[in-house]
Amino acid sequence: MIDIGLGPFVFDTSAESWLLRSESSVVRDWVDRYRTHHPIYVSSATVLERIRGYNILWLRSDTEKRARIDAARLAYLDTLTSVLPVDSAVAVIAAEITTRIFDPPTPPKKSHQLSESKQDRLVRWRFDAMIAATAVVAGMPLVHNNARDFEAIRDVLAETVAGRPQLGSLRLADCRSLL
Amino acid sequence: MVPTNPQNHSARKRRTTLTLPADFLAKAERMARARKVTLSTVIADVLADGLRMNASAAASTEVLKSYRAAFAGFSEDEMAVLDGVVWDTALSHKA
Repeated sequence: MIDIGLGPFVFDTSAESWLLRSESSVVRDWVDRYRTHHPIYVSSATVLERIRGYNILWLRSDTEKRARIDAARLAYLDTLTSVLPVDSAVAVIAAEITTRIFDPPTPPKKSHQLSESKQDRLVRWRFDAMIAATAVVAGMPLVHNNARDFEAIRDVLAETVAGRPQLGSLRLADCRSLL
Repeated sequence: MVPTNPQNHSARKRRTTLTLPADFLAKAERMARARKVTLSTVIADVLADGLRMNASAAASTEVLKSYRAAFAGFSEDEMAVLDGVVWDTALSHKA
């Protein structure tokens, strides 16, 4: 269970969609209660990933499906009320993370028919570093859906912070702990 | 409750008659005495807070509706793309 009292939270890209798409009454109830207390904060890196995703789907779709993707993308833009910037402080911490953990801690994704290239996995890892850095700079816990990647970031920041406490630490909450 | 601030409310005022639950009214009168303001001021402050919360709840509902519309009707592979995964068509394989 994620204590709403510890909020507000920053939401990782896949945690945001996992929570908002869930059919579980427990998850829906948590989201409803959370929303009465706090906004759903996301990093502008999440907005970049998400809009890039809509654009890729749009380019790979036929005319009929494109209209549906356009409508979904517009609906997504309406949700963007609490977006945190990737500013110079975020950039410094993200650089620290991606220098110390150059390669992603987890392999490229595969589905039953599709694969992610190593290059695209590296890009996604760098976005994750920006999202984690956004949470650190905002001083908010990060709700995530990818324990291995974000725990690696938390651990490397903990080592780095020993020498440079101004960097701050990363507090994590796994969205699947709600179930 | 937000402390009374004349800037918070519209300068234009109207007189009206309300029928309120007696216990609510008694509490409001106690608050007015404690804060050394008029009963009208307390009622206006409480009403402003309630209207603000109502507007906030309505906005929250709209945001949740938008989220559901933004993510509805996509397959798991498509949702992965919306979450930042770029499937490489050159690497696609059959199960």
